[in-house]
Parts: sequence; C-alpha cells; structure tokens
Amino acid sequence: MRSGDVAKVRLDEARPAAGVDGVTAGTAAHPSTPAKPAAAYPVKQPFTWWTRRRGYLLYMLREFTAVGIAAWMILFLVEIARARQGASGYQPLGGPLFIAVGVVCLALALWHSYTFLSLAGVIMRIPLGDRTVSPRLIVGVMYGGLVAVTAVIAGLLIWGGA
Amino acid sequence: MTARDSAGGNALHHAFKAGPNRLLGLIWAGFATVAVLSAMIVPAHILVQGVLGPLGLVPSFDRRYDTFSRALSNPLVKVYLLVLFVCSFYMLAMRVWYVVRELGVRSKLGVGMAAFGLGAAGAIVAGYLLFTGP
Repeated sequence: MRSGDVAKVRLDEARPAAGVDGVTAGTAAHPSTPAKPAAAYPVKQPFTWWTRRRGYLLYMLREFTAVGIAAWMILFLVEIARARQGASGYQPLGGPLFIAVGVVCLALALWHSYTFLSLAGVIMRIPLGDRTVSPRLIVGVMYGGLVAVTAVIAGLLIWGGA
Repeated sequence: MTARDSAGGNALHHAFKAGPNRLLGLIWAGFATVAVLSAMIVPAHILVQGVLGPLGLVPSFDRRYDTFSRALSNPLVKVYLLVLFVCSFYMLAMRVWYVVRELGVRSKLGVGMAAFGLGAAGAIVAGYLLFTGP
C-alpha cells in the first residue's frame, strides 16, 4: 500500500469484538444502539518524509527517473522540430551542457532499468512443471535482454548516422 | 473497507463499488508494459544520441540533416519513435500521479487528470511532429 492511500483507510469502530465474557458479541449488550462511525484521521506526513531513510530516498529517486527520461525526450522532440526547418535550419543539439544533461538522464534511465527489471523476478511467476522459474533466472534474462536490445538499437542509431 | 461498508450499512461513508477497479487495473497494466519497454529501449537512445554522438565518439543518425531526415521519413521509424515517446510520457504521468499525492496533495482525480493530460499532450505533440515532418 502506498502512503497516499493511508488516508482512505477507515479504522473500524473501537468496540470490542467480544463481550466481557469473551464469547458474546460486544454489540449484543446494546442491540438498539446505532453504530457510530469512527472518526477518520488522515495521516499527514511532512513534505520531506522521503529524506528520513535511505530506502525512501532511493524510492523517490526511482520515481524521479521518469522526469529525467521525459526531459530528454522533450529535447529529442526539439531536434525533430528543428528538422522540419530543412537542411539549412537544422542544428543538432550539442555542447557541454547538453552532454551533461545527457549523462544525468542516462544515469536516471539506467536506474529505472535496474530497478524495474530487478522487480521482474519478484512479480513474475512462470510455472515450470510443478515448480516455478527461479527469480534469479528471470532477472538474468531481463538484464540479458537489456544488453541485447541496447546493442541492437545503439547499432542501428550508429549505422543510421554513418 | 469494513464488512459493514461493503454491505451498504453505513451511509456516512463513501459507498464503494463492488468488485475490482478495472480502470485502475488497466492503468497499472499499461504502466507495467511501458515501464518494461522503456527500461529496455531508452538507455540506448540517450547513450548514443545524448552522450556518445555529441562527444563525437560515434556517428549518430541525428547529427546530420540528411541522415536524420532520411530516418524520419521511414514510417517504421515514425511508429517506433512514437512508441518511445508515448512510453516515456505515460510513465511520467503515472509516476507523477502517485508521487505528488505521496508528497501531500490530496486530490487523486485532479492530479491524475493533470498528469495524464500533460502526458497525452506530449504524446499528441510527438505524433504531430513525427507524422507531419520530413
């Protein structure tokens, strides 16, 4: 459960499930009393809750990877928009700042790949006879796929520019 | 949710629909798909086009107009790049939807509409640029 969902959880009423004798239902003593709803107390976390623990920080960093990837995609869209101006108007993005942004976005993209592909071993259950495929094998295949796909796409991008 | 709520016995509280939330399930299934796709294909683009190409270590298809426009004129490349952009913007929308609420914003519907609206806008712009360009 995510922490944002905590506020939706309503505590059941604070009445005992059993009477004083431990056997009869607690409401049996007051059958005509309508059940009063318990007050909901939404959990309010400080804005900086994610700085408290290293795990929270890494979790937030993982969520932030989408921002870095999308930012780089917007830069790529700028290049595509520039290409509409024709050969004379096209200028590919470059320079130290663009490369620095690229390095940061690459690190974020790799962090997303690492965290999400590692998760595959936890969430995927592949039946194999009366057992399931080992999570380590699933993660290994995922990483192997990442390396292979990266090599193929990088090869195509380089070949296309040669 | 308590048993009494599901039986509809308490009108003071939010009335939950019986059964699973299929729309949320679809949104999560879409997220799982695009996140795996992004994890596989995005690093190669940033590595070649964002780092190695600009450094001059390898040629990249977007460094020169002739190679870039030739690639962009290929319908398969257009579709592939559209998938790349849609995956990235969908992932952004989903992550932002949850993170903003985890940082204290209460409006689930409002944040969701804003996040997915921006993601959809990004995808539409990408599609327009790709399919009306060279």
